[in-house]
Amino acid sequence: MAKKTYDLLFKLLLIGDSGVGKTCILFRFSDDAFTTTFISTIGIDFKIKTVELRGKKIKLQIWDTAGQERFHTITTSYYRGAMGIMLVYDISNEKSFENIVKWLRNIDEHANQDVEKMILGNKCDMDDKRTVSKERGEAIAREHGIRFMETSAKANINIERAFNELAEAILDKTAGRESGDHIDRVMVDRRQQASTSRSCCNN
Amino acid sequence: MAYKARLREFDNILNKDIIDLEDLKKLAFTGIPDDQGKRAICWRLLLNYLPTEKSSWSTYLKTKRDLYRQFIDEMIVTPGAKEVDGDVEDHPLSMNPDSEWQTFFKDNEVLLQIDKDVRRLCPDISFFQQPTEFPCSVVVNSMDVKRLHRRVERRVLKSANVERKGMGMTKIALSFKKANEDYAPMDEGQEAHWEVVERILFLYAKLNPGQSYVQGMNEILGPIYYTFASDPDATYREWAEADSFFCFTNLMSEIRDFFIKTLDETQCGINSMMTRMLVQLKNSDLDVWLRFQQLELRPQYYSFRWITLLLSQEFPLPDVLRIWDSLFSDEKRFNFLIYICCAMIVILRNQLLNGDFPLNLKLLQNFPPMDVQIILSKAVELSKKGF
Ligand SMILES: Nc1nc2c(ncn2[C@@H]2O[C@H](COP(=O)(O)OP(=O)(O)O)[C@@H](O)[C@H]2O)c(=O)[nH]1
Ligand SMILES: [Mg+2]
Repeated sequence: MAKKTYDLLFKLLLIGDSGVGKTCILFRFSDDAFTTTFISTIGIDFKIKTVELRGKKIKLQIWDTAGQERFHTITTSYYRGAMGIMLVYDISNEKSFENIVKWLRNIDEHANQDVEKMILGNKCDMDDKRTVSKERGEAIAREHGIRFMETSAKANINIERAFNELAEAILDKTAGRESGDHIDRVMVDRRQQASTSRSCCNN
Repeated sequence: MAYKARLREFDNILNKDIIDLEDLKKLAFTGIPDDQGKRAICWRLLLNYLPTEKSSWSTYLKTKRDLYRQFIDEMIVTPGAKEVDGDVEDHPLSMNPDSEWQTFFKDNEVLLQIDKDVRRLCPDISFFQQPTEFPCSVVVNSMDVKRLHRRVERRVLKSANVERKGMGMTKIALSFKKANEDYAPMDEGQEAHWEVVERILFLYAKLNPGQSYVQGMNEILGPIYYTFASDPDATYREWAEADSFFCFTNLMSEIRDFFIKTLDETQCGINSMMTRMLVQLKNSDLDVWLRFQQLELRPQYYSFRWITLLLSQEFPLPDVLRIWDSLFSDEKRFNFLIYICCAMIVILRNQLLNGDFPLNLKLLQNFPPMDVQIILSKAVELSKKGF
């Protein structure tokens, strides 16, 4: 048996329209590289990365999904087990932004109620092709009370930060459930901090 | 000399006036030689495109190729190109369902998806980025008007420093290699193979509106088109586009159900295939099956892609071609696919019995490089056990 080399295991899911850059985001995060030549994701892909947060080794199990409608039945079956979901759109693709609402509805239907969510406006390196302003991204995130960030897998902007923030949010929750005064106290502080920075992209 | 002997065996079958498909299947099941365009001709037969009477081939092929030409003329419409007859006014904002513009915009949505996918077809080989010797003249001499990708164009990405090789390996390339630019469109009069593939998929989507284009179809067409477009016989190579369109259509008619969400639960749907695979695994290797149960490692996690794409994303192209020789020769179509999938798992049994969930899934989703013959032999062995 493989030895357990981590303290906690978080399951994350990447969703959003096809072509918004989910696979590139995950590849940037797990292998710290960018390539324009990914084959299209069919069904579901899987990567692992261990991060350290507040002295804890956290193993992130990240599922990358195919965006097209055809794959929804197979991908929605993963929603249930997910503790965090990254919802990605492409700032140069209006349609992918409009569909965020559809994806949110999907999450409501299929995911756990307390799943941590985050919206990512990807490809922010392509400012000259931008059709979705950062303000609109922030607005929709605020409306749904979700964290938001603009990212670029290509220019490596905010990718690590996004995963870390999502993982921290889950950590807050998980730790909050553990017994013990000490942890609870810390958590209260943490949570306040988190809620003030909630749904604002501070970059 | 065994290889020469094999070639002769193929010749014996293919030189007959009426080809015995049963004999051909038996022989092709063990692999078709890479040389002399043998694979291209055998696949045309195995996929029920070419009839078995050789005397009818030339007329048959001509009819089919003319028909394809007609599809191009009719379906790659440019709004406004046709004369406006009488008082029917057409314009980009028309709400008339018969409006050419309406069709144009609806088509573009499908095209957008196709365009994304053909530009990421087999990035580990350069074939699809190369110009074809036989461009479609009405398209490439249209001042770009009939080039499909033009309709959905966004800026081509520049600069990439990493490229993906088969097997999930990555290779850092020097900066002069600009990956996506390799899929850049060609000058007037030329077109790249990926543009041809895009056109085939688009026509298929137009002709099959109920199903349209589903991601992954590009990976089914890719190996067929590659095989036909690299036929050493130029009289065949010239028609690679039309011929692969029809062979792809025939193949899709057999595996279409894997691509249709509403059929997931039916007998020919993907779920039933995955279930069959799991039952077979249980029969072939109970220990691994138990281990997967224990880890809750479901077949959807790895075999959904294996089956939907007939393994085309799991192996380097030459191996895919070899595997497809067997699949296309399979009498009970795609039974053998299930045995191959099981063989892939059984071969990794020692690692799988010792690995945890993530290790095992990683292994299955990135199948380690190995002689494909080992897998195929194992699959034959499992099939002979006759469960
Ligand atoms: N400019 C830019 N392009 C990106 C970025 N991320 C992904 N892409 C490109 O977008 C296309 C689709 O990416 P992919 O990760 O396959 O999308 P997916 O379908 O959501 O997995 C590819 O051509 C990538 O090169 C980014 O941050 N910036
Ligand atoms: Mg992807």
